[in-house]
Amino acid sequence: MQPLGLYRPGSSVLHRAGAGVKLISLFVLALAASVPPPSIWLLGGLSVLVVTLYLLAGLGFRELARQILMIRWLILLVTVTGLLFLPLDVALANVTRMTLVIVLAGLVTLTTRTSALLDAFEVALSPLRFAGINPQRISLVLALSIRTVPVIAGFAQQLRDAQRSRGGRVSIRAFVVPLLVLSLRHSDDLADALIARGAD
Amino acid sequence: MTPENNTSLRDLTRIATFTAIIAVLGLPGAIPLFGNAVPITLQTLGVMLAGAILGWWRGAASVLALLLLVAAGLPLLSGGRGGIGVFFGASVGYLIGFAFGAAVTGLIVHAGATKPTWLRVAVGSFVGGVLTVYLFGIPLQALVTGIPLSVTAIASTAFLPGDLVKVALSTGLVMAVWRAYPRAFSFSRKPRAAEFAPLP
Repeated sequence: MQPLGLYRPGSSVLHRAGAGVKLISLFVLALAASVPPPSIWLLGGLSVLVVTLYLLAGLGFRELARQILMIRWLILLVTVTGLLFLPLDVALANVTRMTLVIVLAGLVTLTTRTSALLDAFEVALSPLRFAGINPQRISLVLALSIRTVPVIAGFAQQLRDAQRSRGGRVSIRAFVVPLLVLSLRHSDDLADALIARGAD
Repeated sequence: MTPENNTSLRDLTRIATFTAIIAVLGLPGAIPLFGNAVPITLQTLGVMLAGAILGWWRGAASVLALLLLVAAGLPLLSGGRGGIGVFFGASVGYLIGFAFGAAVTGLIVHAGATKPTWLRVAVGSFVGGVLTVYLFGIPLQALVTGIPLSVTAIASTAFLPGDLVKVALSTGLVMAVWRAYPRAFSFSRKPRAAEFAPLP
């Protein structure tokens, strides 16, 4: 369904839970991890919870390890700088807390379809109506963007191929100027097509 | 100047197109600088271009649309990062800074002007795309990682040379796009009647 997304299909309780519920739980747990002073009990309890949730989602230790590996440079940086500038226990608590929250957020992304999250955002953004911004227009922009990314990635590929076939050195300027002009012209054509179909 | 009373479909497709451009500029190769947790990319160049070409609110809107898509689980940030986890990591401040940065760049380039000048674009790209992004990025990075603000700020100066190159690039690119396709800029609203002139 969503080849571009980071979603992992599945049928666990976490996959079936509503996107809004998962987002709110994530924010509550992130606050619980960050606001009170860190203790062994708090961070230990959260670690157990995170591992349990990954197993419950059918993702297992393998995916958990992959998520942690993805932020290895951040973990290394925070550990090394923390050990240099902070007391040992504070440094370790910082790293643990940060890793737990990021891995927990990763769980939401892994178990929720992009479309379900976008629908949840549209609901969350609906109060913007009172500020004079139509939430349906936001949805239209998001849908258009998703459709436009592969188009522009295609332009980029064509331009790189063209530069290579001329044998020139690939310069950023000779790449980005035509990319922008092609993309903006495409944008105006798209608007003309939408207007012609009476979309506005 | 308010979003509502002059939002046209053409604005919406331009916002969506720039969202896609910023995403595509993150594709070719994020260079993870060893020892720092925030990778170098052309994505900040995209932020400067969005503000300078589209103006303050369309530029900011295209960045916000990108952030919503990323939060929904699409891997559109440099190096294929995405998912709601990035908003709990060390780079969250830079992401928020992108939106404000595009707006500041747009204000400096567009306010009271009828066409872009290289000076306004250069100052706008630096103040918006570099200073504003750092203004949000550095304090939040210090907060998330628990590393003292001064240490984080000093570590971030490693990115300054790359950012200055991007300011220079942005200036050259914006002026080149102005010559090649002035219609893309929100200045060129007045000659609109000519677009609908009868065919010869």
